[in-house]
Amino acid sequence: MRGLSLGYVIRRVGMFFFTIWASATVMFFIPRLAPGDPVSAMVTRLTSQAGRVEGSAALITAWRQRFGLDDPLLVQYLRYLRGMLTFDFGYSLAQFPTEVGAMVGRAMPWTIGLLLISTVLTFLAGTLIGALMAWRRTPRLLRWFLPVSLTFTAIPFYILGIVLVYVFVFALGLFPVSGGYRNDLTPGFDFAFINSVIQHGTLPAMSIVLASMGFWALGMRGMMVTVAGEDYLTLARAKGLRPLDVLFRYEVRNAILPQVTALVLGLGGIVGGTVLVEYLFGYPGMGALLYQGITNSDFTVIQGIVFILILTTVTAVLIVDLIYPLLDPRITYERR
Amino acid sequence: MAGITLTQQASGQRQATSPWLNPKLVAGLVMVALVLVLTLIGLILWDVTLARAASSPLNLPPFWVPGGTMAHPLGTESSGRDLLALLIVGGPMTLQVGLIVGITSMVIGIVLGFAAGYLGGAVDAVIRTLSDTALTIPSLAILIVISAYVRQMDVTTMSLIVALLAWAGPTRVIRAQVLSMREQGYVRMARLTALPTPHIMFREMMPNLLPYLAASFIGSASGGILAAVGLEALGLGPQRIPTLGMTVSQAIQGSAILRGMWWWWGTPTIVLMVIFIGLFLVAIGLDEVVNPRLRGVRG
Amino acid sequence: MTDGINTSGAKDTTTTGGLSRRALLRNAAFTGMSVAPVASLLAACEGSRSDPAGESEQDVKTLLLDHHGGRVQSPDLWNPLVSGFTNNAGFHQALAEPLFILNYESGEIEPWLGESFTSNDTLDVWTLTIKDGITWSDGEAYDADDIVFTIEVLLKNAELNNAAPMQEWVDKVRKVDKTTVEFTLKKPNPRFQLDYFSVKIHSSLVVVPEHIWRGKDPLTFKNYDKKQNWPVFTGPYQLSSASPTRFVYTRRGDWWGAKADFKPLPQPERLEWIVNETEDIRVARATDHQLHSVADLTAGAFESLKARNKDVISWLPEKPYAWSDPCTRLLSLNNAIAPWNDREMRWALNYAIDREEIVRIAYEGTTTPARFFYPNYPAVQEYVNLLESEGLFEEYPILTHDPDKAKQIFESKGYTRTGDGFYRKGGKELRLQIDAPTDFIEIWRYAEVIGEQLQRAGINATVRKLAIATWGDNLGNGRFDAVTDWSACGSVTEPWLSMNLFHARFVVPMGKPSESNAVRWKNAEYSKHVDALANLPLGDKRIEGPFVAAARIWLRELPFLPIAHARKLYAFDTRSWTGWATSENNYLQPTLDWANAHKIIHSLRPAR
Repeated sequence: MRGLSLGYVIRRVGMFFFTIWASATVMFFIPRLAPGDPVSAMVTRLTSQAGRVEGSAALITAWRQRFGLDDPLLVQYLRYLRGMLTFDFGYSLAQFPTEVGAMVGRAMPWTIGLLLISTVLTFLAGTLIGALMAWRRTPRLLRWFLPVSLTFTAIPFYILGIVLVYVFVFALGLFPVSGGYRNDLTPGFDFAFINSVIQHGTLPAMSIVLASMGFWALGMRGMMVTVAGEDYLTLARAKGLRPLDVLFRYEVRNAILPQVTALVLGLGGIVGGTVLVEYLFGYPGMGALLYQGITNSDFTVIQGIVFILILTTVTAVLIVDLIYPLLDPRITYERR
Repeated sequence: MAGITLTQQASGQRQATSPWLNPKLVAGLVMVALVLVLTLIGLILWDVTLARAASSPLNLPPFWVPGGTMAHPLGTESSGRDLLALLIVGGPMTLQVGLIVGITSMVIGIVLGFAAGYLGGAVDAVIRTLSDTALTIPSLAILIVISAYVRQMDVTTMSLIVALLAWAGPTRVIRAQVLSMREQGYVRMARLTALPTPHIMFREMMPNLLPYLAASFIGSASGGILAAVGLEALGLGPQRIPTLGMTVSQAIQGSAILRGMWWWWGTPTIVLMVIFIGLFLVAIGLDEVVNPRLRGVRG
Repeated sequence: MTDGINTSGAKDTTTTGGLSRRALLRNAAFTGMSVAPVASLLAACEGSRSDPAGESEQDVKTLLLDHHGGRVQSPDLWNPLVSGFTNNAGFHQALAEPLFILNYESGEIEPWLGESFTSNDTLDVWTLTIKDGITWSDGEAYDADDIVFTIEVLLKNAELNNAAPMQEWVDKVRKVDKTTVEFTLKKPNPRFQLDYFSVKIHSSLVVVPEHIWRGKDPLTFKNYDKKQNWPVFTGPYQLSSASPTRFVYTRRGDWWGAKADFKPLPQPERLEWIVNETEDIRVARATDHQLHSVADLTAGAFESLKARNKDVISWLPEKPYAWSDPCTRLLSLNNAIAPWNDREMRWALNYAIDREEIVRIAYEGTTTPARFFYPNYPAVQEYVNLLESEGLFEEYPILTHDPDKAKQIFESKGYTRTGDGFYRKGGKELRLQIDAPTDFIEIWRYAEVIGEQLQRAGINATVRKLAIATWGDNLGNGRFDAVTDWSACGSVTEPWLSMNLFHARFVVPMGKPSESNAVRWKNAEYSKHVDALANLPLGDKRIEGPFVAAARIWLRELPFLPIAHARKLYAFDTRSWTGWATSENNYLQPTLDWANAHKIIHSLRPAR
């Protein structure tokens, strides 16, 4: 394959596995560094409801034994590795006997559904705007309007959320949401559920486009401007190709490589960045689950989610590294 | 390379239109400086102990709303903290987070990025793996562990934790830049003349990287503030006097919107917006410094 | 980011727009999720514009309740014996009925499934009689066999809820006849019925059907099967659907209670428990009459709800609105480490704290200061009033805020203070670290105020928020200076339980988990008096003597400081349903998330 040598691919894939192992190991030890364990979280939550849990010491001892928390660390670590390799995430410790897989399975569609839609929409909108901003033949009106839209980018996103709520709900007192609001908030099964996920995602997706397309636009604009000076474009115009053709077939296509890179990486890192906002607004995704797991010291939940996170991020990086030479023939990993 | 010409132009030349003076960059710097200066003035003129809990009457509106008083011009919130004092204390804290995260990740990024990009081989492989690993670890997990051991979380500790994981990005960026610069003519010349490696790295390559470094610094700072704001929202930030991000999240938890207490979440939001928009403009401005072709482009 | 790129001439834009990729990713993800959940709020609020006249006939017979505990991670888990099970999303309010219900208002234990639970004179053989004719929802009879089976399961598995107390007290359990069970205890216990079978706080022991549970592993059995209509319990409702955010139950006509003339079928035909993520959503829905009962609100939220929805009432008709919760809020000090092992230092702290200010600021006026660690219920308050009439609160003025007295005590101990600085002795600052759990906003709010008050008084007090697992673990192991907690909770109608929590025999060294008495207060005389109370029957006059003696010692030593009564601010919408439990109509305490909610649900009537 041009640009890639077999040796490189093998080394790169080796690094891929090594990185996964390293990250997984770090995430095994970190939650265990803080004092406390999922059993004490369970018991404390019970006392907050029932005022007092009798026999808590005996309860804690019994559960710790059942979960193997008193086993030597090495044994627990090997058990963990085996579980990760077989994708058997086991039971949640703080909410036994719920399976981690079931919990993640319920949270995943929310995270993926919304973020996928929004990241793709943002990418499309931002790239288009950036391209238009750099194109010589963009109408003047657009040229003025576009930079203004980018100022939304600078605002922290959950703050943008508050501002929107205030404006649309409390100040203007109107917000048209198609479909009954109760339906939106009850995930039924199958079609109804997917329908509600989409409905949930449409509105915020629009806000997302507002808030984050700025960076995509800037990047695209930068690349477009760089490309604009290239000789082959002058030739294309001299040949008499239609301006739009020149825009899309030559300028955009050459400028889009770093954008695609960023897109792939963005999709890979989806899960990690959402913890904080999900918690604040009570959104039922993986981020909220991870936060809950961390505060409960629920080792298995943390391990399960972070493992998925590691896999997606590192895989995305690997894919980017490997396809780069394919997308841009000028790039090569071969030794000079 | 465009970068070289650029730096020669910018440093010490009396060009009428230095690319460093483009309006966006200046505007951005002015905005950030404004926040800094105003808060510093405020520290002198206003009593910042009013930012502590139980120091002021509860839930007062700003002075221009009936029920407000000049003693608390921007109102108070539901724990008895004065909003003006909160802004005065919180503004510098936010900037401090940006500074610490920006500088720390830049320093680490420069050292590791140069090492990885220039030296290549095993060094590169190790550093790349480390940075990939750092990318995947949620800073929340580390923060919670550390908060269990420190006596009281403060801004510096939190910033260092964020920086601990934020260095991965700049490292990769700088590494990529170094990789492409490595093949440039002047660097090859320098290597041929057997100059010592540190000399090549810092005297030859670094000056050309300055615009990129500056842009990267702004990016790290901005990203760091964002991450910290989010972490504070989880209640894990500095405890005694909340930062701007924590104030907003406490406002949400305290149903400020519902209660019509717009000043509680509104004023910190405005300050945060000014800081972020300022940093953003600086970033765009630096982008134009870096990429001369952007300078003539309208819009 | 990529290896050895050879891009001849083309600009390498691994930076996009001047920001690093990482920030970009974060930003993208952030935006991604930021306003997303706003949709929930927006959607919820959209309801407030919808046409209220559009309520269908069906809606009139539905009761919409608020589930306060957050999203339920496992809606297919219906095993009440494991700790991870969420029992207050309708399970113990609609499906599973209690044996007895403790009525805080009257102080009586009322029968429900159980008819009577009496003991012999030595309080070590208890006989439980249940009503005749109780059936499970699948038609099988609920009888002594089920009770004996459940107790035996608890006796065999230490990890189950209520297993520990059963293992501690019960020696033998046997079926006498279809409706009678006899418990032989290992030692006398006057509180056997009260503590475990009467919904004393939140829930009580749940009896499971033997014919379904026999042969299953009680730790992993999910007890959920749509086809067979599992879960099977005795209540007048059947589970209709369950999801992480919504639980729906429909009334079943073949409830045993109607057939046995115990009570008529409850009026609501459908019950829905809805999870509301934030307080704003909760209030928005309640404003629009989409929630008939709201679980627990802050003062400001309640007031804004009242302003928007005129039909809303609470337990009390005006401020402080809230109902007093059983677990008094404390500032617990570690009695095992200096300088807080000195009772005078603890009293100095007490003088430095201003409870009125805490109530005013942290609670925004919705509760009252606490001078003893019992909750604000008539039955136990009688005992506290006894202390007052004995003059104990004059001898030990616990509610007094007197910074000068505090100053006196510190100085007498050798601490000196320069100006507004902190007290120092021998070069070391006087410090206090207060640990509060992150998840409980109410708790760290009052911790913050205490921290500020102590700072003013010259102590370098810092408040630290910890994740719940860490906080709980530190508390049990004694790794704290001070915590804001509720660990004296337990007594609601009789004085012994809470006092016994601080018996000297529970003290374990720091670093080992403690059953109770996490403050590690060791006082032999106090313990002696508490032991004298242990086996006296409930309400016996002989309790008073030892009680006063023990309380005197406690007040003198003040191992922990009671700060304020806890409170729950419930809100009820009277537009569709009336008959809620309020202070004016106090047939029961207003706790719709506890297992005694059955009585409330049976008392509700449609408003029109």
